[in-house]
Amino acid sequence: MSKTFDRLVSGIDSDGHGAYVEEHDEESNSMVINMGPVHPSTHGVLRLLLELDGETVLRCEPIIGYLHTGMEKECEDQNWRGAVTIVTRMDYLAQFANEQVYSMAVEELLGIDLPPRAVAIRCMIAELNRLSSHLVWFGTTGLDMGAMSAMFYGFREREMILDFFEMVTGLRMNNGYIIPGGVWVDLPDGWDAALEAILDVMPKRLDEYEALLNENPIFLERTSGVGVLSRDDALALGATGPIARASGVDWDLRRDMPYEGYEGVTFAVPTATSGDVYGRYRVRMAEMRETLELIRHFADNMPEGDFKNMDPKLTPPPRSELNRSMEAVIHHFKLVTQGFTVPEGETYARVESPRGELGCYIVSDGGTSPYRCHVRDPSFVNLQALGPMAQGQLIADLIATIASTDPIMGGVDR
Amino acid sequence: METAYLSGREWTERARSLREEGWRLSAYCGVDRLNLGGGEVRFEMVAQLMQPETKDLLTIHVGAEGDPPTIPSVSGIFPTVNFMEREAYDLYGIRFEGHPNLRRLLLPDEWEGHPLRKDYGVGKVPLQFLPQPFLQIDQPGQAPDAAEAGAEVDDLGQSGRAR
Repeated sequence: MSKTFDRLVSGIDSDGHGAYVEEHDEESNSMVINMGPVHPSTHGVLRLLLELDGETVLRCEPIIGYLHTGMEKECEDQNWRGAVTIVTRMDYLAQFANEQVYSMAVEELLGIDLPPRAVAIRCMIAELNRLSSHLVWFGTTGLDMGAMSAMFYGFREREMILDFFEMVTGLRMNNGYIIPGGVWVDLPDGWDAALEAILDVMPKRLDEYEALLNENPIFLERTSGVGVLSRDDALALGATGPIARASGVDWDLRRDMPYEGYEGVTFAVPTATSGDVYGRYRVRMAEMRETLELIRHFADNMPEGDFKNMDPKLTPPPRSELNRSMEAVIHHFKLVTQGFTVPEGETYARVESPRGELGCYIVSDGGTSPYRCHVRDPSFVNLQALGPMAQGQLIADLIATIASTDPIMGGVDR
Repeated sequence: METAYLSGREWTERARSLREEGWRLSAYCGVDRLNLGGGEVRFEMVAQLMQPETKDLLTIHVGAEGDPPTIPSVSGIFPTVNFMEREAYDLYGIRFEGHPNLRRLLLPDEWEGHPLRKDYGVGKVPLQFLPQPFLQIDQPGQAPDAAEAGAEVDDLGQSGRAR
């Protein structure tokens, strides 16, 4: 345990240089090096300070904040509806989960109910989002371990899902589709055929992926027994999602604390006990198959009716009303110039995002914008587990370990 | 959902017993009550806890008293709050006594102020980044010149040097 590491890890940026060069610690004969923030395998701008003995990692400290843009502060400057466009940019691969958890928190303070169709659309689109997010993880993990075809396969299938998002919401990313009170536009004509095409092709493609990697000796060599996180460590460090489930923590908010449309739906929660990179791979692959079933369930049972709460204090009146009703004009004017108000109070909502427990803590002072909007991002918390995972293993295995934690730096730094 | 208001010392004891009863801590974040009124304590930390067996939920508000606002760290009891306490220290300036590595997490170490405080303006504060010496390496192999770290900067924090 070198003093050089301690010096660099506390206050690196303030003394200007040193952080960007390798240093040799005479006393313990270890090498302190810096990995990232611009490194192709760090999934954005994650920076790791490593202490190495030869090729063995003695200590690993994540240094974050390179993508920090003060989104929580920005939310306080938006109205309740506008803050959706901020939270959707946090974890940009699980944008619908962010919108959903924020909307759930606001709806709880408002004390409103959602029409059944809105709930089904939200859950269906969030499950599709889980699929597209896991496909990015699949592609990048494969790429990090030298299986470049995995990258092409993963992104090819994700493209179909992004096309579906574009068809429904008008955008491929940062959709701002789920809003307090429902969703902002109904499903378009022909959505079921487009979805059916995805559901048809995905199981075959998942079989292909698993044939490619499950028993691939190179892949096994690089993943099994690598980056092990014990069950106790996972619980103590607050790891959630596939990382915790691969370490034997049988916990999924959709099943254990059902919210919105998950009440009464039965599905399997895949777990593993090995706690290594391969375990996380198997858990995510199995999760994708379960997700397909859930998407089919929500699509088959899609109710008719309103797609958002039609309370005039919350939702602008239809255009045709504006020509006839003075009251509608007033409501429209208030909503467009100020936005709606939310009663004083605080609440914490949680959903199971593709990466784990995504929480949103909201405080309202009774005004037209959030007083405080904190997002508990799963990548942010899960990243703390990287140190224990990396300790004592080879630096080359660290690449696989980072890939398996699937951090999204937009969510980590916010 | 149950809500409790505790002082720093009560919180440490409560956290220990909650941990033994198997509660999990999901989120731990700061709030600045400057414009909310009500309490005397301006800064507080809000912990969201959950009991996985009984599915009970618990929200705990911990007041940060003193100047600078201070709370005992619970990172020894719930290791998951390590980053969360550093985040609150960074963005609210709340000190956590006994935290193993209490320094800025998201902002650069030389940043002044705590942006999530209510009296810290939005969009009015110029960027505070120092010009970093690594930008000023002109040739491969040249050592970064630490003396240039103090180079003059304009309002936007640019060093004014053509790169």
